[in-house]
Parts: sequence; C-alpha cells; structure tokens
Amino acid sequence: MKPLIEFDDLSFSYKDRAVIRTINAAVFQDECIAIVGPNGVGKTTLLRLASGTLTPASGAVRLQGRDLSTYKQRDIAQSIAFVPQHVDLPFSFTVEQFIEQGRTPFRGLFDGLKARDRSVLRRAMELTDTWSLRSRIFNELSGGERQRVKIALGLAQEPKLLLLDEPMQNLDIGRQFEMLDLLDTLRREGIAIISSMHDLGLIEGTFSSVWLLSQDEPMRQGSPEEMLQPELLEEIFNCPPRHRPRLMERTLNRMEYAL
Amino acid sequence: MVSEVSDANTAHNTTQHGWQRWLPAMLAVALVFTMLAAACVGAVHVPLSLLVKSLLGGAPLTDDQRIILLSIRLPRIIAAAIVGSALSVSGLLFQGLFRNPLADPYVIGSSGGAVLGASIGVFLLPSISIAGFGATTMFAFIGAVSSILLVYWLAHVDGHTPVVGLLLAGFAVSTMLSYSSYFLEVMDHDFGTGMKVLSSWLHGSIAQPTWPQLLIVFILLCAGLLGSFPLARHLNTLALGEEYATNLGLSVQQIRIAVIVIGSILTAAAVALGGLISFAGLIVPHILRMILGPDHLRLLPSTALAGALFLLIADTVARTVIAPSELPVGVLTAFIGGPFFLYLLRKTKQGVMS
Repeated sequence: MKPLIEFDDLSFSYKDRAVIRTINAAVFQDECIAIVGPNGVGKTTLLRLASGTLTPASGAVRLQGRDLSTYKQRDIAQSIAFVPQHVDLPFSFTVEQFIEQGRTPFRGLFDGLKARDRSVLRRAMELTDTWSLRSRIFNELSGGERQRVKIALGLAQEPKLLLLDEPMQNLDIGRQFEMLDLLDTLRREGIAIISSMHDLGLIEGTFSSVWLLSQDEPMRQGSPEEMLQPELLEEIFNCPPRHRPRLMERTLNRMEYAL
Repeated sequence: MVSEVSDANTAHNTTQHGWQRWLPAMLAVALVFTMLAAACVGAVHVPLSLLVKSLLGGAPLTDDQRIILLSIRLPRIIAAAIVGSALSVSGLLFQGLFRNPLADPYVIGSSGGAVLGASIGVFLLPSISIAGFGATTMFAFIGAVSSILLVYWLAHVDGHTPVVGLLLAGFAVSTMLSYSSYFLEVMDHDFGTGMKVLSSWLHGSIAQPTWPQLLIVFILLCAGLLGSFPLARHLNTLALGEEYATNLGLSVQQIRIAVIVIGSILTAAAVALGGLISFAGLIVPHILRMILGPDHLRLLPSTALAGALFLLIADTVARTVIAPSELPVGVLTAFIGGPFFLYLLRKTKQGVMS
C-alpha cells in the first residue's frame, strides 16, 4: 500500500532558529498518529508543513506520491483538513454557517450549496454530534462543542487526512473521552489522523503510533507502548527527577486509570 | 482572545424567517416612497398627490415646479441614495476584509484618500479633467486605493488587524490626508477655482449634481455592486482568519486585492458626490447584521438598499431642518454615527488589545 502522506528529509526554520530537522516519516490511510514533544519543539509547524501553508526549507512533503508544493492549495484542501487550535470569529456566525465553509474547496465562484454539499454537511454534523447545535452562535459554544464543530468543518472537506492541533486543549475529562470516541469513529471512516497531543494519558488505545519530537535529537517514532516510556519522556520533556512517579502515573492509560 | 461583537443573543437560523427573506423587497419599496416624499419637501412645497399624478402621465405641474423637481431635487435625491448605498456596501466589504465591525471608509481613511485624490485632480491637474467629473472620480479612486493600502500595511500584523492598530492608522492617515487637502486649498486661494468644492467635500455635503455626473457615479455604483456579489461569500470564509481561509483553498491575496479595488470604486463614487460623510458605512451594515446575521451574501442587497434609504433620509433632514440654509449631511451622520461608533468600540473593548 502506498503511503497517504510522506515527510522526506523535511526541515524547516523560522529565521535562524531551526525547528524541524530532517524528519522522515510516512502515514498510511488507517493510521492515527500522535505528535508529542515539549512546547516550542515544532508540533504545530509540522502540521502546517503537512497542510501546505508552510513551505519546507529543504526536503519535501508528498501527498499520494506527489510533492505537495506542486498542488494548488484548493486541491490540497480537498484531501487534507487542518483543524487549528484557536478560531477567532469576528462576527456571530451560526454553527451551520461556520461548518459550511468546509465546502469552500469544492465550490465555484458563483455556486450555491448543492444537494451533494448539503448531504456532506449533514453527515459531518452527524458524525461529530453537532447537528443539534447548527442554529447556535459559534462564539457562544462551550470548549467541547467548539472543538467538535471545528472538526465538523474539517470533515465537510471530505478529507483523507485530518490534522488536529491540540484537540484536547481546554476540554474537561468527559469531553476528552468524547473526543477519543470521535477519533475512533473517524478512523473507522477511513480517515487518517495526525494530532499534536499534550495529554500523554489519552494516547494509548486510540492512537496507532507516536512521533516523539525533541529539541536536540532526531524524531523518534513507534507504538504508544514503545514511546511512552517514563525514562524517555523524562529526558525529552526535561522533567525534574523528583516528579518521576507522577510522570509514570500520567503515561498510564487514563481509561483504565479512571475506572 | 475573542474580539467578537455579539450582534444579538438570539440564534440566527440559516433558514431565514419569512419576513427576513422579504427585507430587500420591503427596503426597495420604502426607498421608492421615501424618494417621492423627499421630492415634495423643500422651500417650494409640491403636494405628493400632484407629484404622483404628474408621474402617472397627467402633467399639471407649473414650469417652476418642473424645474425644481427635475434639475434640483431629483438629482439631489438620487445622489444621496447613491452615496448612501456606495458607502454602506464599501463599509460592509471593508468590515469583512479587516475582520472588524468598526471598519468603514471614513474610519480607515479611504474617504480621506479619495478627497485628497479628488483635490489633486481639481487643483493641481485641472487640465486633465477631460470629462470634468469623470477625471475627478478617477483621482478619488486612486486616492482611496493608496490610502487603504497604506492603512492596511500599517495595521496588519502577522495575519491580524488589531482594532487599536486599525483605528490609529486610519485616524493618522485620514488626518494627514484631510489637512493635505486643506493645504491644497490654501495654496490655490489666489485662483479660487475649486475652493467651494473642497470645503463641501471636507464637511461631507451632497453636492448639486448634474445628470451626466449622476450617470457616471451610478455606473460606478452598479459596477461595485456587481463585483461585490461574488466576493461576499469569500468574505465569510475570510472571517475564519487568514490561515484558516488559506487552508480551505481560498486565494486570500486575490480576494483581498479585489475587495480593496471594489471598495475603493464605491468609496470614490460616494466621495465624488458627497465628500467625507462619516460613519454611514458603519451604522447600516451593523444594524442589518443584527437582523440578518453575519452572512455577507445575505447582507449585501439589504445593505445597498438600506444605505440608500438611510442617507436619503439624513440628507432630506439636513437640507430642510434649518431652512432656508442647509446643514452638511456629514454633520448629521457624525451626530448619529459618532455615539454609535463609541458604543461599538465599547462592546469590542475586550478585543481591542489583541
């Protein structure tokens, strides 16, 4: 099977500061990947490189075998959906008006919403359980609702790959579990997922592999069991040693732990 | 931080309520009636019944009445409607572009740029005025585009346009431009060619236009409106933010240029007839947003019509309230719009520093 997206000797730097250094990795259609690493290590940058909004300094991102820079952004948007961490809407759009924007890459200059667009939108809202929110004002939603609505916009793009930037941020534990269920559902729908994750306890069980970014060393990749080792994390996150027991606790599967 | 102005706490259903769908039609009817009513009031009163009868074919108008209606009131009424419509629609476009409900051609300095451009046309290069008025409008357009590019360049940081930056840049640029126009007026004092024109421009007063002038500006308005329709939906996407819109495949740069060009055509059209009329482009889109929600495509027709209606009423009041002399309509819109602007600023206060 061909990989959906590949990172080939990928590097990127902001001005003089190298952020991403020679990453080599591939994502297949049935994968769900967690990007883990300390703040400022380039998790969001990697997602932006994968969505084509940043151009690599060297190396390449390849979407279905073809260099991403040879695609039009509109064509990328038909395969890859990026769900950002924050959205700042200046006007009171309804949830439905917001999610409709996900059809942008499919609509011509003068096209209204066609029957097919409407059915895609409905399905996106049903999968994310946001259909009942459709008349609400986006800016008045709670954190968990907002997160699901943003993912619904991504699904309206009918993506093969969904890029999520800290989807668990600001969610209470119940909403975090809901989000995990949603990711499971999306994976079953055949959508590959790359997500940056802060909460290490939520990774096992849902994510198929972990990419561990570190400031000084090359990226490590492997299964959650292999990567979420307290010794490794202690070093990469530069944890004070006296908190070691707590680190071990946090990397246990939270699902079991909560029961 | 969310710099939202929550327009109304009620939910706007995407499926419109019946009366909302009819709002453009209702506004159009109101506009026609207001135009007729406005034609009746003034120094010489023409009864409405007489006016309607003469329009329907029986023409019992006296020559005086005919002259007053056809060469004074009617052009003035049409001019006010065009100016109001152009200002409101360009306000709507600029609010979408800057992702900021406080943007308006006056606030962001594009009106000031248009006045300076027009002044340069009148004072420095009168020989270029081939079609007289047409050249002035062209200079106004160049002025509007340049000033908006300047304000945009000053206020736009890392994909955002913070409120404070926008207001300060707009204020500084428009003050600079207005006083440059004054400067031109003073320098030109000895010749006295366009002095009266300029002072009415700076106070925002609807000039007494000729029919050919009206035709030119009406064509500009129509062009601007036609150009706005395909842009309106993209402004909804742009509201998500620059990066989000790019991720969705929107050519943000192209849309931005198109909005600046079309917004400036409309500003130039408005300024050529009415000069610096403050805040009209702010009030009308905002009130409609409270009624119809923020979808730019749905707002566009109603904004064009309500803008015309608003400024026509304002101008009719301005020319009759202290008769026989006249108030510049800009004074009136500043009285109404100023407090409204401050109220909006207060509401967006939490987002001001972001």
